[in-house]
Amino acid sequence: MIDLDVQLPLPRFTLAVRAALGENVTAIVGRSGAGKTSLLESIAGLRAATGRIVIDGVDVAALPPEKRRIGYVPQDAALFPHLDVRGNIRFASHDETRFTSLVETLELAPLLDRASTTLSGGERQRVALARALMTQPRLLLLDEPLASVDQPLRDRILLFLRRIRTLGVPMLYVTHQPFEALALATSCLMLDEGRVVAHGAPRDVLYDFATDVDNVFEVADPRHEPERGITRVTTERGLELALAHDEVASASFPLVVRISGEEIVVFGECPASISSRNVIEGVIANRREREGSVDLTVTTPEIIHVRVTRGAADELQLTDGRRVWLAMRSRSFRIVG
Amino acid sequence: MSDFGIVLFTLQVAAISTIVIAPFALALAAWSWRASGVTRTIVDAAGTLPLVMPPTAVGFVLLELLSRQHAIGRALDSLGVDILFTPAAVVIACAVMSFPLMFNAFRVAIDDSNARYFDIARTLGASRSAAFARVTLPLAWRGLAAGFILAWCRAIGEFGATILIAGNIPGRTQTLALAIFDRVQSGQSANALLAYVVVIAFTAVIASELLSRAQRRRLAR
Repeated sequence: MIDLDVQLPLPRFTLAVRAALGENVTAIVGRSGAGKTSLLESIAGLRAATGRIVIDGVDVAALPPEKRRIGYVPQDAALFPHLDVRGNIRFASHDETRFTSLVETLELAPLLDRASTTLSGGERQRVALARALMTQPRLLLLDEPLASVDQPLRDRILLFLRRIRTLGVPMLYVTHQPFEALALATSCLMLDEGRVVAHGAPRDVLYDFATDVDNVFEVADPRHEPERGITRVTTERGLELALAHDEVASASFPLVVRISGEEIVVFGECPASISSRNVIEGVIANRREREGSVDLTVTTPEIIHVRVTRGAADELQLTDGRRVWLAMRSRSFRIVG
Repeated sequence: MSDFGIVLFTLQVAAISTIVIAPFALALAAWSWRASGVTRTIVDAAGTLPLVMPPTAVGFVLLELLSRQHAIGRALDSLGVDILFTPAAVVIACAVMSFPLMFNAFRVAIDDSNARYFDIARTLGASRSAAFARVTLPLAWRGLAAGFILAWCRAIGEFGATILIAGNIPGRTQTLALAIFDRVQSGQSANALLAYVVVIAFTAVIASELLSRAQRRRLAR
């Protein structure tokens, strides 16, 4: 259990965060300048904040950074330029077993003898993760680790972060991307001007924050149907989906997939004939007006967020309680990790 | 003493004085680096003071401190240590006068090393001194070496403070700068000594500049 009560005066406002976090992954979201990085630096001991930071019953607020055992991976990874990859990872410890295990988990073996200055953005993040994990931290702080990498790499690193999640190290994960929070976090904390304005399940917190409507599902139990070009899978809450077979044929399950709510087509009646491989029946639980568009929360075995134009919403009378059918192309799903 | 002997003596006392002040300059630069506000201003001013004072004024202060009229001079005298007008006085004058150059060069080199790496090292379990030794120093070493060379050059050319506390005793305290002064005063040619000075200073300054550039290049990556 992590109990935060942190105050830090900043030029525009005072960071004042009070929250109780679980032993899992908490995403911290908020606009630029909301105090997210300052909060992580305060927890890591790099800023002179006041208050309490209790991890597993130990208040580490008065301890210097080196005594806190809190791993910190900044946005730019900050690898030591005078050390190679091996030197960076082994900076904190020479524990050979842990080193071997992390190198294997994060697939770093081919990079070990490279100079840290020659790595790509994604490689740097993986090395920084391994370096922080060598300290056997009781908490891992990640500051937008995917900000400087492009989309294909982003999904790949997310996969590594999900692997790290299985190591059981609690994480605080700062991000601007709702889908990252949805794919990784078990809870979400939203900051605005240094204060917590929302704290809860990522889907609930991110609904207002999302600039696009993302749906992220963990899927398992693949049934391959190569002759039809699809692989049928089941989400955690029992929703059956069809994914493009060639994209997931060699993937290892469980898998995290994502589909934007803007790629989902809504029907007022069950379509008799349609090329989309996924047609799911549901009920509108919430309709929210936005500028020029309408966001719908549709209850199926999973909660699905959809964005339609206002014209379509009015024409189809998409209001709370209305039964609808959602069509999703198998190729519209992106593999996140 | 031959011209070569004078050159050798000068290089030796300059090297000794530079080695002696290096740990102090490093400690003060590190303190300044982590200090803030008024403390940093005072530390920086103290480290730079001999640079802005006339060398003869610095020499006069040293003369006062090391004479028997002052507690320090009396203490040294009671221990049988004679400093004034000895090669040790040359070392002290060179050390004091070259300290600001070394301190300022060290400060810039450490500032350029990026405090972020130091901070990250601490989150990885390194104490302040360990983070400084394992991360900041290796990142700053080229700049530190450049500062060392600059200070050594300054010590080679030191004149004003040296002549006040060490005199100009041929074969005992006479350095290159003092010998050139001596020859010009007595109407002799100082060209040979001048050539030594130019070659040594030029080589050293080039080396210092190359190291500084290498440092900037490395940290810009």
